[in-house]
Amino acid sequence: MLGDSAKAQEVFQTTLREAALRAAQGELPREPFWLFRDARWRCLETVKEDLQPEALKLDEHDVAPHAASQIEKLDPAQLAVWISGAPDPQRTALALFYLDEFDYQEILDLAELKLNELSRFLAQGRQQLQAWLNAKQPQQGKV
Amino acid sequence: MRAVVARADDSDEFRKQQNFDRAVAEIVHLIPIPPETAEWFSEKDLNVGSKWTWRKMARNPAVLAISIAVVVIAGVSVFQVLSRLNDFPGSATARKLLTVAASTRPVMLDPVSTEAGTLSDLFFMKHGLEHYDVPAEFGDFRTIGCRVFEDEESRRIAQIWLAEKRIQLFLFPAERNPKTGAVLWFPGWRYVHQEGWAGAVTERSGVCFMAALRGSEKDLALYISNTTGQ
Repeated sequence: MLGDSAKAQEVFQTTLREAALRAAQGELPREPFWLFRDARWRCLETVKEDLQPEALKLDEHDVAPHAASQIEKLDPAQLAVWISGAPDPQRTALALFYLDEFDYQEILDLAELKLNELSRFLAQGRQQLQAWLNAKQPQQGKV
Repeated sequence: MRAVVARADDSDEFRKQQNFDRAVAEIVHLIPIPPETAEWFSEKDLNVGSKWTWRKMARNPAVLAISIAVVVIAGVSVFQVLSRLNDFPGSATARKLLTVAASTRPVMLDPVSTEAGTLSDLFFMKHGLEHYDVPAEFGDFRTIGCRVFEDEESRRIAQIWLAEKRIQLFLFPAERNPKTGAVLWFPGWRYVHQEGWAGAVTERSGVCFMAALRGSEKDLALYISNTTGQ
């Protein structure tokens, strides 16, 4: 969500500290995933304070048959930075989807999206990521 | 919907998309987590709840309040059950009359100095009260006064004051079955207590007799012969 481990660390600790305080006061919400929702809003607040990237129309390529091998060569930290550069709520949708720990219904709930929006953000994300992969690894992209 | 999903499963595009997503998810899981954060995700529970103990539970104000309420309710219930165990037909009236006895002053009665056993004729002749007979146990005691009055249920009650230890005697109609009208009979003598007063009650010919005095059951038991026992 943040693309910066120091900021992520800070948000993580603030979220847990706040949760511990609420637990001590017996005020923990009953709704599921409230901790993730809280963390998400803290991430978005943190990003708001940073320099905002210029809104660009990213290239979109169809998912390539050899995309899996392109992804394998990717540095995980680079992928984290790429996802964190996406505008929200697409960023939230991609982060939650690729964390592979939530089902669609949970992602819709957490990201406050409708099903068609989530579907569009994921589809766009795949095509933009493919275009970025093709740009990073041009030889393989042309195979 | 199932047909669409089945068709999508077979499509090359969908397979590519699935492979793409799987590969990205694998890489995402390789994104390094700062060690300070990682240590939070150890095998240990993040939040171990405080251990539940009986003592801790007993100190909970809600549990404490409920426990006290239950004890009080149980106490009242036990008291009522024990009270009911000693109940007999007419015991409620007898208790009310003990209250009357406690508040009666000699001047409130017509002065009559005779033997208590002879007042049956007076009650019959003057007030038309049949079977208002003083039992033999109390028949020989001298009286100070007597009166006949009606209680709140318009029952006619005879009250006699004895010189002996300021004992008061009461004669009142025995309780009846509201459906059949039959007298609710009970054997021997029964005791009632109310505000420091004790009463010994017996029933004969549809009339209850009660001897009442300020004191205990033992004080009354002295006057009741063993042959009539409970």
